[in-house]
This record gives sequence, C-alpha cells and structure tokens, in this order.
Amino acid sequence: MDFNGLSVDQAPPIFAPMRFFLTAPLFGILAGFLIFFSDSATLMSRYSIDSIVITHAMTIGFVGFVMLGSMTQMLPVLAGARIPNVKAVTTYSHILLVIGSIFMFLGLLKDNNIFNIISFVGLGSGFIIILFAILISLKSVKNFTATVRAILTSVLFGLFTVLMGLHLLYSYISYEMSALHIIVANVHSVWAIFGFAGILIIGVSFQVLPMFYVAPKFKSFCKQKVVWLISAGLILWLFLSFFYEEYTLVAKLWIAIFFWAFATTVWLKLNRRRRPINDVTVWYWRSASIFLTLGAFVWIFDEYFKHEYIVMAAILIGGFILSIIVGMLYKIVPFLVWFHLNAKGYMSIPTINEMINKNLAKLQFFLLIASFVGFIFSFYMPEVLKISALSFIFSMIVLEYNIMAPMLIYKKVLKTKPDFDMSTFS
Amino acid sequence: MSTIKEYLTLDHRKCDELFALMEDSAAQSLDGAKEACAEFIHESERHFQMEERVMFVEFENKTGMSQGPTAMMRHEHNQARNVMKQLEEARASGNKDKFFGLSETLMILLQQHNMKEEQMLYPMAQQHLSADSDRIVDMMNSIIVQ
Repeated sequence: MDFNGLSVDQAPPIFAPMRFFLTAPLFGILAGFLIFFSDSATLMSRYSIDSIVITHAMTIGFVGFVMLGSMTQMLPVLAGARIPNVKAVTTYSHILLVIGSIFMFLGLLKDNNIFNIISFVGLGSGFIIILFAILISLKSVKNFTATVRAILTSVLFGLFTVLMGLHLLYSYISYEMSALHIIVANVHSVWAIFGFAGILIIGVSFQVLPMFYVAPKFKSFCKQKVVWLISAGLILWLFLSFFYEEYTLVAKLWIAIFFWAFATTVWLKLNRRRRPINDVTVWYWRSASIFLTLGAFVWIFDEYFKHEYIVMAAILIGGFILSIIVGMLYKIVPFLVWFHLNAKGYMSIPTINEMINKNLAKLQFFLLIASFVGFIFSFYMPEVLKISALSFIFSMIVLEYNIMAPMLIYKKVLKTKPDFDMSTFS
Repeated sequence: MSTIKEYLTLDHRKCDELFALMEDSAAQSLDGAKEACAEFIHESERHFQMEERVMFVEFENKTGMSQGPTAMMRHEHNQARNVMKQLEEARASGNKDKFFGLSETLMILLQQHNMKEEQMLYPMAQQHLSADSDRIVDMMNSIIVQ
C-alpha cells in the first residue's frame, strides 16, 4: 500500500520549493558581501555596475527564488493548478537560474563577454521554463478567484520584466546601448517591484491575512479591482516613459497611492485580527507595511532614479518585499516539513513552532531590519554602510540556518523512523 | 437558502472564530480554555461529518469519483482530528508551549485544507449538485455528530 499520503500526491515534492528557499539566503549573503566591499557613493547611482549586480543578487537571487519556489507550492493549494512535470521544471529552472545569476554578476563585474552570454542563456531559459510552466498550469484553473487573477497578472508582468532584463543584458554583450536603454531600465525595475513582486504579494495577502491570522476579509472592491487598477498604472508608466517622460509622475502617483492604501489596509487588518499571536511573521507584515508607506511617499516626492538609489532600494526591495517574503518563509517552511512527514504517517513529530528556534527568528528579524535602516542612513553617513552590510550578512546566515533546521528534522525523521501511526489511515 | 458552497464556506469562518476564541482563552489559562477548546473541536468535527456523511457521499454518488478529491479531503480531516486530539491532551496537561505549537500547526493545516475546498471542491460540488442543493444543505444542517 502506498502510504505517501493522499493529500501529498497533489502537492509537489518537498524539494521542488525547498531548493529555491535554501538557495535564496545564499544569494542574500553574496549581496551582503558585495555591499560590504562597495561604497555608498557608488551605490547612490542605480547605473553603477555594483548597484546593478547587488540589486539583482537581491531581486533575482533572493526575491525571485523565494517567489518562484512559493508559487510551485501555492498553486495547487490556492488554485488547484498543477505545474506539469514539476520535478523536472523546478530542478532545471533552478540550476539554470543559479548559473545565469552567478555568471551575470561575474560577467558584469569583470566585463566578460562569455560570462554575460552564459548568463543570458541561463537566466532567459530558466525564467522562461518556470514562468511558462506556471502559465500552463493556470490554464486548467476553473475557479478564477482574486488571488489566482493576481498570480496570473504577476507572472505576466514577471515575463515582460524578464524579457526587458534580457534586452538590457544583451546591451552589455553587444556593447551597444540603444537610445531606449534607460527607458527600458525604468520600466523593467518598476514592473519588477510593483508588477511581479507587488501584485503577487497583494494577491496572496487576500488569502493569507484572513486565513492565518483570522483578520477581517478584504473588501470586494479591493479583491476585484485593485490588481487591475495597479496594472493600468503600470501600463500607463510604460506608455508615459516611452512617449511623455515629463508626465511619468502621474503614473507614479497612481501606482504609489494604491500601494500606500494596501500598506495601510494590512496594518489595520492586523490590528483587527482575531488570533492573539504576535510572532515574527506578524512583525514582518508590520515592518513591510511601514516601509511600503515610507517607500510610496519617498518614491513620489524624491528623485527616485537619480541620486538616492540605495535609499529607495533599501526601503522598497528590502523593507517592503524582503520583509514579507522572509515572514512567509517562516510560515511555509516548517509547515511543508510537518505536512510531508505527517502525510508519510509520522505522528510524533515536532510542531511547527518547534522546528525553528523562536529566538533565532527574532534575532534574524532585528538584524535584517537594522541593516535596512542602516542602508538608508548610509546615504547620509557613509561610515554606516559596512556595519549595515555585516548586519545583513548575519541575518541571511541565520535565515539560512532557520530554513535548514526544519529540513534537518525532516531528514532525521525519515532516517530514524520514530513511529508510524496507522490510525490516520484507518 | 444558501448554496452548498456558501453554507460550508460560512461554516469554515465560524470554526475560525471558535479557533480564535479558544486561543484567546488559552492565552489566559489552559484550564479556563476547556470549554472553548471542546466547542471548537466539536464544531470542527460537526463540519467534517457534514461533509463526510452528506456532501461527499452525494458528490461521490453523482460523479462516481470516490478516490478523487473527497478521499484527499477525508485524509486531511483525519490529520486534523489527530492534531486536535493532541491539542486537547496538551491543554489538559497544562503544557502551554505544546498547546500553541499544535494550535499553530492545526491552523495552517486547516487553512490550506479550507483553501482547497473553497477554491476547488465546493465549486465542483455546487456545479454537480446544484439541483439538490437545498436538500443537501438541509441534511447537513440537521446532522447529529456521531
């Protein structure tokens, strides 16, 4: 008899998402070292090679890897969508993305054409394989909820972001920067942050906040319209960037207002949550909400893409996006381990709360938030940059340990086979 | 009268409320949470039985799918029952850490289970059983927990 569990057969194998989750903090550590050996003057410009490499170590290496890993896990639960050949898709896309990312960083830093070509092929094929597999899986969805629509929208923005990214990377291979290079870079970065990551976060929060924290449901206006309105703002941003650059502020206002409203909504819903728990995941939602509010206003009122790049990146990529996805990792990873072990028939296993040391999770939170605050201040006080980078590196090392700890429990249980309770299957 | 999908979805939210009340009460004192814990477990069991003894049976008869999604959901009900049993044991023995560790585990287990039901199974059930919707809701409403 197959005891692999009836509910697990529709979930992907545990290593499908976990390989992405375990790799992400390693790119975070790499980004931290690159910041440590850079200087705040270089990081003020988004066009410096250091800035581009560090940003992509964070966005592709950390944010992208966690988002893609999470989607392989979430799609069967949230949408009933199965990624075709999930094992092969995740294995190959993961390897291609790791190779593509590392060679991109090396290629740009060393100005090496061969490395850039390897990176172009690796990132292009890696992203396209997994994003298309997700799109194919969404074709079979019968019940298109607000969350599923948001996932689909996010993946489409992700696909265009990747294509624009490949166009930009190609200019480093051909040594020819088109007249549109900066405009494409503007659309690429805004679509990546607000389209690919932002819309996915909003869509998932429609489900996660009410369900995991018993917070009030999002209003139907939010669920039905906000993703479309943000998408319209992002398309307007593209249109104005290409044809009426002097009016891009209009699109900026449009996008920023909806994200600010989202940040406020998250804060208020957490205030009204019915569960009394106040763990590190709640702290991460709170910090994301504060950083997003700050980011929305700084983006409108400040010179986003000119002199204060490190400030904007620390607030939006770090404070907003990283906060939320690290918080979600603390929910997803222990549950995945528990769920897969339980479905294999092991009952005497640690609870979710026992898989990750609470104090280490808190330490990791404080180190990460301190590093973001430090990065912001390093614009005004360059001497703060190195200590902030160290704080970031340590937070990523602790995070890697915190993700590995449940996996070690998983391996240990499979090896020692502490019990095998048949009652669940009776 | 509400549809099968609306009725069972609303019942999920009712169980969520009872879960939150139980945790609230347990945060004060595990002894004092006896009643809230019993009520949550009873209502969850009632919900499981409404599905297993009524809706799933109707669905299986209508579609001929007895080893499909309903079998998967029955298995997850059993997983949840097992955790609820351990939860009550932790409460009775006064082990707060264990209790909240199990309540967190149960919460995520139930929520991902509810998502699957609400996103997939209930819409499928509503589609196949729409003609008998009122009768099925009536039967579920009047169920006596065994």
